[in-house]
Amino acid sequence: MKQSIKGLLLASTMALSFLTLAAPGADAQTLRVAMGGDAVSLDPIATSDNGSIWTQLLIYDTLIRPDKAGTGLEPGLAESWSISEDGLTLTFKLRDAKFSDGSPVTPEDVQYSLMRAASEASNWGRFFRPITGYKIMGAREIEMTLEKPFTPAFNNLALFSAAILPKALLEAQGDSFFEKPVGSGPFMLKEWVRGSKIVLEANPHYWQEGKPGVDKAELEIVSEGSARVIKLEADEVDLILDPPLNQLADLDAKEGISVGQVVPYRSDFVLLNNTKAPFDNLEVRQALNYAIDKEALVQGVLYGAGKVAGSAMPVMSYADPALEPYPYDPAKAKQLLEDAGYPDGFSTTMLVNSSNAAHRNAAVALQAMLGAVGVKIEIQMIEGGTMWETTKAGEYEIALSYATSDTIDPDQSIGFLAVNPERANAYHTQWQDLRLNELYDLERATVNGDARGAMFKEMVQILHDGAPYIFLYHPASAWATQDDVTGFEILPTSNFRLEDVTITE
Amino acid sequence: MLRFILQRLIMLVPVMIGITILSFVLLQIMPGDPAERAMGTRASAEELEAMRRLWGLDLPLWQQYLLFLKDCVTGSFGTSLFHKLPVSTLILERIPYTLGLTLYSTMIAVLIALPFATIAALQRGRLADVIIRQLFVLLIAMPPFWLCFVLILMLALNLGFFPTGGVGDGFLENLHRLFLPSLVVGLSTAALIQQSLRATLIDTMKADYVDTARAKGLSRTQVFRRHILRNSLISTISVVGVRISWIIGGTVVVEKIFSVPGLGGLLIDSILARDLPVIRGLVVFFALLVVLVNLMTDIAYSLADPRVSLK
Repeated sequence: MKQSIKGLLLASTMALSFLTLAAPGADAQTLRVAMGGDAVSLDPIATSDNGSIWTQLLIYDTLIRPDKAGTGLEPGLAESWSISEDGLTLTFKLRDAKFSDGSPVTPEDVQYSLMRAASEASNWGRFFRPITGYKIMGAREIEMTLEKPFTPAFNNLALFSAAILPKALLEAQGDSFFEKPVGSGPFMLKEWVRGSKIVLEANPHYWQEGKPGVDKAELEIVSEGSARVIKLEADEVDLILDPPLNQLADLDAKEGISVGQVVPYRSDFVLLNNTKAPFDNLEVRQALNYAIDKEALVQGVLYGAGKVAGSAMPVMSYADPALEPYPYDPAKAKQLLEDAGYPDGFSTTMLVNSSNAAHRNAAVALQAMLGAVGVKIEIQMIEGGTMWETTKAGEYEIALSYATSDTIDPDQSIGFLAVNPERANAYHTQWQDLRLNELYDLERATVNGDARGAMFKEMVQILHDGAPYIFLYHPASAWATQDDVTGFEILPTSNFRLEDVTITE
Repeated sequence: MLRFILQRLIMLVPVMIGITILSFVLLQIMPGDPAERAMGTRASAEELEAMRRLWGLDLPLWQQYLLFLKDCVTGSFGTSLFHKLPVSTLILERIPYTLGLTLYSTMIAVLIALPFATIAALQRGRLADVIIRQLFVLLIAMPPFWLCFVLILMLALNLGFFPTGGVGDGFLENLHRLFLPSLVVGLSTAALIQQSLRATLIDTMKADYVDTARAKGLSRTQVFRRHILRNSLISTISVVGVRISWIIGGTVVVEKIFSVPGLGGLLIDSILARDLPVIRGLVVFFALLVVLVNLMTDIAYSLADPRVSLK
């Protein structure tokens, strides 16, 4: 009696578990990816969320792309290029590439796509508007001219929003093109079940021979970090992005799973409202920087996945390796506070984004560290969008935040973080340094090279000394894969490409 | 009956107008601006203004409201700023999963609650009743997100009976994949049904007509099935009706953990992105659903209980 029940149970268990096995095609290799957010739209000029960016990078191509190290550029759809001495003319030679429907990528497509990216309807317009003239020089050559020298214009062509789209199809179909987009990237869109998954197939006309390394890619949307980890452990996916940091060590120790991390262009810091006392006092701001044990934050909040920050600028081109972060020196902090006239410290309120788990933890640690030098912090949790509005309106004292760079050119970040007046006025701190503003105007007109590098070095040093922020850390981006997945990595721009990924049998 | 339905549907109109006004006004007061959410760190003040102009956000409020009203009447409920699709399309894509979850979980709930409520009522005061009642109190108290992970770990990861989440293609595959999330939602629904059903059963068992039926010669089972249970189930209809209205938007946590692309997730995502047309459209749509569900509950109630007349 017992034996037959056991047998029945075993048989039904096996039957049920077969139902859960993915059923891959016998020849087709499918890379199953789990990511945290759905794409919102596949229009490169209308999106800025990770889900959309990552999907677009798999379907479209740009003229130039960030190289693996993230500090330089490599050929994309442009096989070679030249920049005039005065920086006003950019010439590109296109390679022999085709869109996924077989039609060739022409200079007309390049002009159309970039003009579209510079238009008023584009979220990314300001990155491309400095290019004022386009001239088609031949079947595969295009010349772009600028009115004024603007060095980032070239680097910005590596942005995902500079994707080259087929002019004829876009003109014919308008916005509905993006429901069945056609690009020259390694994959084509096969199916998109909103909120659930995006299915991609290899582009047979892709210009890199023998790539992509897999026939299909399935991007599954799993918004819970822990759920992504569970899926990887259950072998339901091959690759997951952004696992929770506190589970990284466990994952790495598991058999059959590998973990990777890279520090992208991101910096976390505390905004100090420089228009409100006592944050208008340089000594007070510096004191707050001395009071923080950044190494402890990296270990405790990031579980070691990150680096200490000496600046609010992400570490990118022209970063100064010799920049010294403020050392942890609570005695000096107390001394500076006393000199500034606050021997007994003071109280203040810190805004924290309620949906950012790492920031919630960091806030508690900061409260303890600053409390030790006499600065009493009251933590106020607030939703992301509301927090942006509040800091922009200047209705805050201090706020825990971060900044990332969309492009490999540091001009975007320095303009946002340190220049006043500019679009954010030193990211809502209202801090201002006239020498830095001067350097900013100079660097954007100086061609890439040592001279430009020296300007950035000086600007970052001024930012460091002026301490309009409490500098914290550069957190790492992590991922985890099954051991048989090779060739995946995240670039410092926080994006990834899948054409090099292979699954070894 | 038909006149009643017609009357209620006509009453829908002023209710819906009220809701559109309320949602429109509330969203204007809410801090956060879609242009800033889209371009925040990248745009200057002029560029943000240009984007708002493109989206029609600079039009006078009364004009924006009328356009919104027009969209509700024509059925699109507005156009998403970011997806560039009509809100109705976004809703239609997700409604099968939310409705599926709703119906599936309610079915599971009834299948669980009915036998337990029956046993508890019949064994009133005795050990079985006490155990069952405590068990269901536990079910109400359990946080759904905790229960989700426990079930995933036990049934999906360790035993491999179910996938850990997501939705599939086809009815049968979804029946399999949606079982765990429906179980989580269904368990708390079951607790609610069980509570009210048990109380009603006990009351009904004391009724005079029950004694008459027994005196007539009907067996215990026949009396229970024909008179006690059928009359008590009527009250369950109201409980289920109210609960269904809640499930449609209230199971966001379960949906997110199991990666089910439902309406709750759409609402949360559009709130965080400040996609105003989607938020407005969804609020109006949810209100419509609640009114319709209430109407159906009332009709079902009157059909089940001949003593109740619709007025």
